[in-house]
Amino acid sequence: MANEKSDNQIEKLMDAPLEFVKDGNQFLNKCKKPDLKEYTRIVRAVGIGFVAVGIIGYAIKLIHIPIRYVIV
Amino acid sequence: MAGFRLIDVAKPFLPLLPEVELPFETLPFDEKIVYTIFAGIIYLFAEFPLVGVSKDIQSFPINDPIYFLRGVFAATPRTLLEFGLFPIISSGLILQLLAGLKYIKVNFKIQQDRELFQTLTKLFALFQYFVLANIFIFSGYYGNNLTIVQILVLNAQLIGSGLCTIILSEVIDKGYGFISGAMIINTIVISTNFVADTIGITQIKIDDADNTEAQGALINLIQGFRSKNKTIVGGIISAFNRDYLPNLTTTFIVIIIAAIICYLQSCRVELAIRSTRARGMNNVYPIRLLSIGCLGLLFSYVNLFYIHIAAFILIQLVANNDPSSIICKILGHYENVNNILAVPTFPLSLLTPPRSLIGGLFSQPLTFIVFTLFIVSTSVWFAKKWQAISGSSARDVAVEFKDQGITLSGRREQNISKELDKVIPVASSTGAAILAVLAACGELLGLKGKAAGIIVGVAGGFSLLELITLDYQQTGGNSNLRAVLGTPSTSATQF
Repeated sequence: MANEKSDNQIEKLMDAPLEFVKDGNQFLNKCKKPDLKEYTRIVRAVGIGFVAVGIIGYAIKLIHIPIRYVIV
Repeated sequence: MAGFRLIDVAKPFLPLLPEVELPFETLPFDEKIVYTIFAGIIYLFAEFPLVGVSKDIQSFPINDPIYFLRGVFAATPRTLLEFGLFPIISSGLILQLLAGLKYIKVNFKIQQDRELFQTLTKLFALFQYFVLANIFIFSGYYGNNLTIVQILVLNAQLIGSGLCTIILSEVIDKGYGFISGAMIINTIVISTNFVADTIGITQIKIDDADNTEAQGALINLIQGFRSKNKTIVGGIISAFNRDYLPNLTTTFIVIIIAAIICYLQSCRVELAIRSTRARGMNNVYPIRLLSIGCLGLLFSYVNLFYIHIAAFILIQLVANNDPSSIICKILGHYENVNNILAVPTFPLSLLTPPRSLIGGLFSQPLTFIVFTLFIVSTSVWFAKKWQAISGSSARDVAVEFKDQGITLSGRREQNISKELDKVIPVASSTGAAILAVLAACGELLGLKGKAAGIIVGVAGGFSLLELITLDYQQTGGNSNLRAVLGTPSTSATQF
């Protein structure tokens, strides 16, 4: 009896991730994915922004190098 | 101790800690952008080497034990930003989670409680800066036999810069900029690191013979063609697989991961809604796959950080990294690699991503399973809890629907909450799981924290872009920046 119960619990424990994967898959199938046009637009917007901010940041870092030489 | 509340701990500190005043009125769009970018720039500028420690990197007795976590928290070793944003992010996430789960009793409707909670968050962050700084000082990370003056100076620097960072991020949080302070600073730093790793022109000495190579992977490839000390083929090969500086392979992997996140960000389930007041008003309500963004992954990394710091205390401070002591036999010890990194050995190595895929497969195969499982399970657990407390749970959305007089098409109004409950929790936990798997895959390829970093960065950049376009539309496009930069593509407005 007790054995059966623990079996059930193990089964439940195993079921949880499986169910999670199943639910997730279902959700992903229902998802509306971006088409190529929308996707390129997003990649361009994020990419340009990301690289632009990065270049500003890197310029700051370059200014930093001589300052480091002076104070260290 | 009935009636004791954790937030009351912060009460005596309320007048002591500096605080940013709320802006009198909402700031114009341009000013917000300037505040946001400058917060990041100031943070970048603060990356000064520490005063009071030896300058020669080779002479440090203890190497960096958390090198693979630095990319996520914008931390740079042996500078003022030794711990980066970690204390701020962890204190914010953990305290809000505890408050949401009712472990800390806060009534967010009362002004004083909110203030106290805010002060508690700052206090906890500051406390973590203090503890981390002293762990590193007393472990010998900054050199053995420090004098008391040196210890005090180091403490002052690390905690002082911590306090400045806390206030810097508070400026953004309080409405002077977009999204949360820690997030935006993190995004800016990560994008800077990405640019530096790709096209950085800084020449770094790589061997004793005074040969230098560029930091940026792309620049290094170009330099390889006219370099005197290696052949063209050797130059190209080394551009792809050098392991002491960023190489082109990691750059490609990072770009691929960024592209995947852009794709995931725009995945959503669209629920058909209609107005209950006017006829024929049909619309869609999107529920995004990554509705909680990268917070799940950040939470996993906060946990990893704590585990590794705890292990560092035990192994370095208590057992002195002596392989024969009991603690090191149980937890593993650190091995120095390249004279910069402290790489833990088995058991602790289970939670440390390998430095390269091939090496990792042979020397620590179990890591691939344990590390992935750890990241995925903590992320999903957090996502499940967070979506329930963050104000976008099924019940909250249902209330919002009712207030605005909209309902799901083809459903009875009473069932909205139940219907949403089938979608929203699944969405956030699935999104968190996918991000976690992506991060784990990238890390296991040997990116040393760059994979998780780029995920946090791009996700942050995405929400920033979203808020900026929203704000831009609300202010009616009335901006001087636009006059300077030209009209931003209107296409970027809707996602």
